[in-house]
Amino acid sequence: MKLKVVLPIVVVMLGLAVGVYFFRPHTFHGTVIQSPEPSFDFKLTGKDGDVSLNDYRGKLVLIYFGYTFCPDICPATLANVGQALRNLGEDKASEVQTIMISLDPERDTPQKLAEYVTHFHPSFIGITGTEQDIAQVTSLYGIFYQVQPGSDATGYLIDHTATLLVIDREGYLKLVFPFGVTVDEIADDLEYMLRQ
Amino acid sequence: MNKYLLNGIYGILGLIVISAVAFKVFQPIQVLPRMQLSPAFNLTDQDNEQLTSEELRGKFILYTFTYTNCPEPCYNIDETMQEVQARLNEVDLGGVDVSFVTISIDPDRDTPEVLNAYAKSLGADVSRWQFASTTNKTLLKTIISSGFETYYEDKGNGDFAFDPAYVLVDGWGIVRAEYRYQTEVSSADRILRHLGVLAEEVQNSDGTSKLAYEAAHLFLCYAP
Repeated sequence: MKLKVVLPIVVVMLGLAVGVYFFRPHTFHGTVIQSPEPSFDFKLTGKDGDVSLNDYRGKLVLIYFGYTFCPDICPATLANVGQALRNLGEDKASEVQTIMISLDPERDTPQKLAEYVTHFHPSFIGITGTEQDIAQVTSLYGIFYQVQPGSDATGYLIDHTATLLVIDREGYLKLVFPFGVTVDEIADDLEYMLRQ
Repeated sequence: MNKYLLNGIYGILGLIVISAVAFKVFQPIQVLPRMQLSPAFNLTDQDNEQLTSEELRGKFILYTFTYTNCPEPCYNIDETMQEVQARLNEVDLGGVDVSFVTISIDPDRDTPEVLNAYAKSLGADVSRWQFASTTNKTLLKTIISSGFETYYEDKGNGDFAFDPAYVLVDGWGIVRAEYRYQTEVSSADRILRHLGVLAEEVQNSDGTSKLAYEAAHLFLCYAP
């Protein structure tokens, strides 16, 4: 009699724990945005001509703002994204397009950008535009940037917001990773979004 | 299959559904939606110094848009900004600073000097309430119309057509609320209540309580 009461309770408790564990919502490592409308559709220039966000509808798009002379944070972030894609495997990685938008049109030609970004992952593309174009796209993606004098060795530097943005397959901004996000964290969130 | 096991599984599924529904219906936790990224900007303030979106990070910011020649009562924009500031002590902000920024849509006439005099005439504490604009009108349009999604247009006779709006941005630079129309509750009341909701989320942004708050986002438990 006693067992008849206790056993179901134990089973339910155990099951509940397992159930909650398996059905728990994915905990994103980035900040989730519930955008009511699609992200601003920019049109900038890459090595093979114009590139706009809408060209990649159907894929996840990672957007990073930086420049090729960037001494530390840009290569660190791009390297992490490259490694995350390698960890996901070729099939999944082919569903993701990473775009670096250069804040330094004066020094970063489309050709030079292409050489730079493919160093981190062969699928990456780099784009840039006129100063006015860059001012518009950065403002609308919440990226602040400002030219700072550097040394003779580095040339001028550009301070900039170092977030990594994820646009979902429908063109909505979905996720904002802060600077310092790790390879595993990027891979984990991308994998979840690819399953959606 | 063992009867107990089957009952157990049904029980679990039932409990999960019930707790999800209960969470949605009773909304034990309310949040403000993370609507979009606030636009980045580099404006010039009433002291002729730059005011950037970057230096406002970490604070809650209430933005509004107007011009100093706007015929009174001008939608009571300044009065609402003043009321929110005067009543901030009604809200438990948990130590988070709140900044107020009025962006002028009329940079030709609203020079830093004019904005400075205007701030003084309102008795504004400019360490907390700044007035700013930029002479780059293309960029101003991008920031206000596309970024903050607030319509304005120069009518060419010294007047501007515009939709009054307040936009509340959190410390991560994410737009959390917009106030664009009159409701039975005044804008100031809603803004103050929302500041409290935001502050509560910031204070609970670690560990288990963070999970509960993320669940509130997931279930769209938005504060009215």
